[in-house]
Amino acid sequence: MNALTGNSLKISRVNIVSKKFQRHSHSGNSVTLKSPNTSVNFQPIRAAITGAADSGETHSTVLPTESARDQLRSDMAASPDVKDGRIAGISAAIRVIPDFPKPGILFQDITTLLLDPKAFKDTIDLFVERYKDKNISVVAGIEARGFIFGPPIALAIGAKFVPMRKPNKLPGEVISEEYSLEYGTDKMEMHVGAVQAGERALVIDDLIATGGTLCAAISLLERVGVHVVECACVIELEYLKDGGGAAIRGEESAAEGGRRVGTG
Amino acid sequence: MSAGRDDDPRIKGIKSKIRVVPDFPKPGIMFQDITTLLLAPNAFKDTIDLFVERYKNKNISVVAGIEARGFIFGPPIALAIGAKFVPLRKPRKLPGEVMSEEYILEYGSDCLEMHIGAVEQGERALVVDDLIATGGTLCAAMKLLERAGAEVVECACLIELPDLKGRERLNGKPLYVLVESH
Repeated sequence: MNALTGNSLKISRVNIVSKKFQRHSHSGNSVTLKSPNTSVNFQPIRAAITGAADSGETHSTVLPTESARDQLRSDMAASPDVKDGRIAGISAAIRVIPDFPKPGILFQDITTLLLDPKAFKDTIDLFVERYKDKNISVVAGIEARGFIFGPPIALAIGAKFVPMRKPNKLPGEVISEEYSLEYGTDKMEMHVGAVQAGERALVIDDLIATGGTLCAAISLLERVGVHVVECACVIELEYLKDGGGAAIRGEESAAEGGRRVGTG
Repeated sequence: MSAGRDDDPRIKGIKSKIRVVPDFPKPGIMFQDITTLLLAPNAFKDTIDLFVERYKNKNISVVAGIEARGFIFGPPIALAIGAKFVPLRKPRKLPGEVMSEEYILEYGSDCLEMHIGAVEQGERALVVDDLIATGGTLCAAMKLLERAGAEVVECACLIELPDLKGRERLNGKPLYVLVESH
């Protein structure tokens, strides 16, 4: 490896958007693999994580409770087991940077993953294995780190790649969706005509935090009649300060009850 | 190095998928829009294949992509040839320790950053972006890699605007492009 090898927190190989996210009426699947209870299975992955990553804060496992896990396994037969050997390597390749972009934030840096060709390839392979037989015709990637993971997936499954961008970057006709930030709002844009009604889409980003950006992307696609099959992220932040927690905790109770919301 | 690859039958299809948007980002500029290429899976695949065929046996260990459209083309090339992908970013996007290189714009200047430690001494690198215009950004990218001790083997872009003479700004470094636009 290189000088940038880092420790990592828990990893979620896919994240599926919950119906409970605000401002969103998405009726797609929303199975979560999270649970506030760490299971025994968490230990092997945690062992790969060095102590420095755990700066006192709890970053719990993404493995579900017993009942939820059994139900999820049967429902998601095509998905890799969370004990897939590749996950540990991917998790270990992600670096955590404290106090970026501001004090108190532990930034999940995927650039170290990109420096590990095997781990990067494994990341893409995990997503491709999951989606290649699902008739996905569109992969939408959120600027800018979604541009790194989306295109390799799109190429492998034969889908279009659609960049979802900050304002004024896309030339020509666009549609935009405003979304809330901690302070203020931002806007996301997509090209008019990039996608057609009835197409089946994935939304890709490196990480889901509050889900606001992913929601905006889903809205843009649904406004033009696209069916968003799933959202896929390399990392999910389970523990968030303030408002972010509400959306995530909603998913946690779904997992605890073993209830699956929506269908894939 | 040759500019275009007119002899390869895939080039025509790739060129036909690139959309020109007039007066963007400001009047008088004919913007070369590659997003329409990304909507044509076969043409997008052909684009990547052309680069991969060229570089797969050249012991390239680093593909550096320039934010943001270089992030679309760089990673598939890196994955196919087994190289690292290194994002070169606008200021303050990369967390942790970075090195920066300033470069001149038409009005004012901008900065490109790379992570310290991403690239090691002696590595062989490619720089990838969707388009070369004046060459300012590519030049800054090359400098960052060279300062870190890497050897820039080639710059690779889909599109060249030859009238802007960007090629000359690369200090003799080879440039490989798929299509030219005058």
